[in-house]
Amino acid sequence: MILEGLMQVLQPMTIVLVAIGVAVGIIFGSIPGLTATMAIVMFLPVTYSMSASEGISMLMALYIGGISGGLISAILLNIPGTPSSVATCFDGKPLADKGEAGKALGTGVVFSFVGTIIGIALLVILAPVLCDFALKFQAYEYCALALFSLSMVIALTGHDMPKGLISAVLGALLATVGLAPIDSRPRFTFGMYQLNNGFALVVLLIGLFAISEVMAYAESVRQKQDFTIRSNVKIKGVGFTFKEFVGQLRNAVVSALIGVGIGILPGIGGGVSCMISYTVSKNTSKHRELYGTGIMDGVVASETANNGTIGGAMIPLLSLGIPGDAATAMLLGGLQVHNVAPGPLIYEKNGVVVYAIFFAMVLSAIFMMLFMLLGMRFFISVLKVPKNYLLPVVVVLCGIGAIGNANALFDTYCMVGFGLMSYLMIKSKIPTVPMILGFILGPTFEQNLRRVSQLASSDSFIGHPIFCVLIVATVFVVIFSVRANLKDAKRAQELEAAELHREAAGGDE
Amino acid sequence: MKNKQYKLDIIPGIVLALFSIGYLALIPQIQTFTGMGATPLTNHFIPTLWGGFLLVLSLWIIARGFRKRKKFLEEGGKIENTSLKDAIMERREVIVSFIALTLYVVLMGPVGFAPMTILYVFAQILILTPREQWKKNIVPALITAVITGCVLFYIFRYMLNVLLPIGILKVFGL
Repeated sequence: MILEGLMQVLQPMTIVLVAIGVAVGIIFGSIPGLTATMAIVMFLPVTYSMSASEGISMLMALYIGGISGGLISAILLNIPGTPSSVATCFDGKPLADKGEAGKALGTGVVFSFVGTIIGIALLVILAPVLCDFALKFQAYEYCALALFSLSMVIALTGHDMPKGLISAVLGALLATVGLAPIDSRPRFTFGMYQLNNGFALVVLLIGLFAISEVMAYAESVRQKQDFTIRSNVKIKGVGFTFKEFVGQLRNAVVSALIGVGIGILPGIGGGVSCMISYTVSKNTSKHRELYGTGIMDGVVASETANNGTIGGAMIPLLSLGIPGDAATAMLLGGLQVHNVAPGPLIYEKNGVVVYAIFFAMVLSAIFMMLFMLLGMRFFISVLKVPKNYLLPVVVVLCGIGAIGNANALFDTYCMVGFGLMSYLMIKSKIPTVPMILGFILGPTFEQNLRRVSQLASSDSFIGHPIFCVLIVATVFVVIFSVRANLKDAKRAQELEAAELHREAAGGDE
Repeated sequence: MKNKQYKLDIIPGIVLALFSIGYLALIPQIQTFTGMGATPLTNHFIPTLWGGFLLVLSLWIIARGFRKRKKFLEEGGKIENTSLKDAIMERREVIVSFIALTLYVVLMGPVGFAPMTILYVFAQILILTPREQWKKNIVPALITAVITGCVLFYIFRYMLNVLLPIGILKVFGL
């Protein structure tokens, strides 16, 4: 199976598709406002007619290119191309301002590669272990796992816990549309047969991430957005010495492990992992005072972690069907389109595709490094592409993605509806990522909870230690997260009160 | 003076509370299954749980919003009401974009993918372009729109077999 997977990736067509995917992904990642998720959304319809290995390899290439491309604008413009590169700005831009843009970019590219490879290695090791473990899962365990994953929403909502929970509940609520699990009775379909299968994940994601981006841009049309792009960047070799590379290895390994660890947790993603690894790197460094002034360490920490997250996020996706972030949620949609069912049996049922994914990830990482080191000038020039021309084309491709999902125009209406909902949520400061978790985990939770209700009389939960452990873990996560959130909320309230006081005083004057 | 902080809790809270009440009201209409193999928890249970949860959370943020509002007034703040006209004018590009997108997807079936894409892309490019730059952007926008509509229609309909609507192009025997 391993060899067959390798052979599928080494087909000339697949290699070309991976190369195109990486290049497009880097372009999307480098342009602020366009993300890896949008690149995957846009190219999903292109993969419909491909084989599973070709299509998913291309989507993986877009994902890796998209996450890595964010460093270009983070370093050159101080605007992260994707949320995953936020922490890259802290040291990347000052390094570029010192006249060492080539070094900053080279460091980012090489350590993005290192992070991706460490992430893939851990994915290859851990995914089968988790699959074997998950084979023991029955209704009790799946129910507890869904509950545990949903409890993570509380941990990632920041100081505004109720709004994060609202988003997750809205997602779960949307997932109740369609035929009910187990008894297949229609719910909230209003007599429309198109709703019998519920809303498609792909269509929801297109609305949430692509349409809302166009609207966000539309809102800023009248604001001048002038920035100068440093286009005369030269990278000699990889931009840094071998001694400097060796000196950063410890920092890189720790950051990659943080990235993988955070990637495994549902719904968090690269944006958080780069911030956490940057903070850890800074706090454990002998020269922490230099962070933020333009040192290699900061770029290494951020870029290794966000690329490590890719492998991490793929672990629960492949072995449990739970996505680690928005982009992997989109990949889940891609896997479903190609009839690949993630879960404990994925190695048995689609082993070749799984190994093809692993090899495609390695190939994508190699292409990513080569393209970014050799073609940096091209990617910098792409930053000049006007978004007022690019975004309408993206919307059209998203529309094709929605139509192609079930060859039905109805999905485009849902796409516009979800886009409007997403825009209103963003305006109301309600996060959209927890919604995806709610949408994916809601049906798993319901189906297994109802099965558990049936089994409870003959099969007690005491005979299910994994269930008990997951429930205890859920209780701990909820307690600690609520405590942390309340602390954050108190701090935020104090700041808000001070602001209100200032405003009120300003009003009196 | 900014007074949006509490509005961001009260207005979404009210909308979501009304939505959850409507959702909960629809639950009794769902047919339950009581035959052999029925589960003790019916297909009403989870919708009731999520709907109830959403209602509680909505009431929570409404209450929080009113607390913030009270505090704001106690601090001597004055509430400024923005007129509907001002609010619409402030976001006119967003509203027009949504109208354009809605017309695009609604008319795509009868008119066809290619013509509607040309119209939509052209309109959307101009919507996303500051008005003073329209003159120099009309021709490039038109070229982009025509290329996008024709090339994507051909690639996806005939090379990738995605069933994009043909619409009025049927008269040309497509």
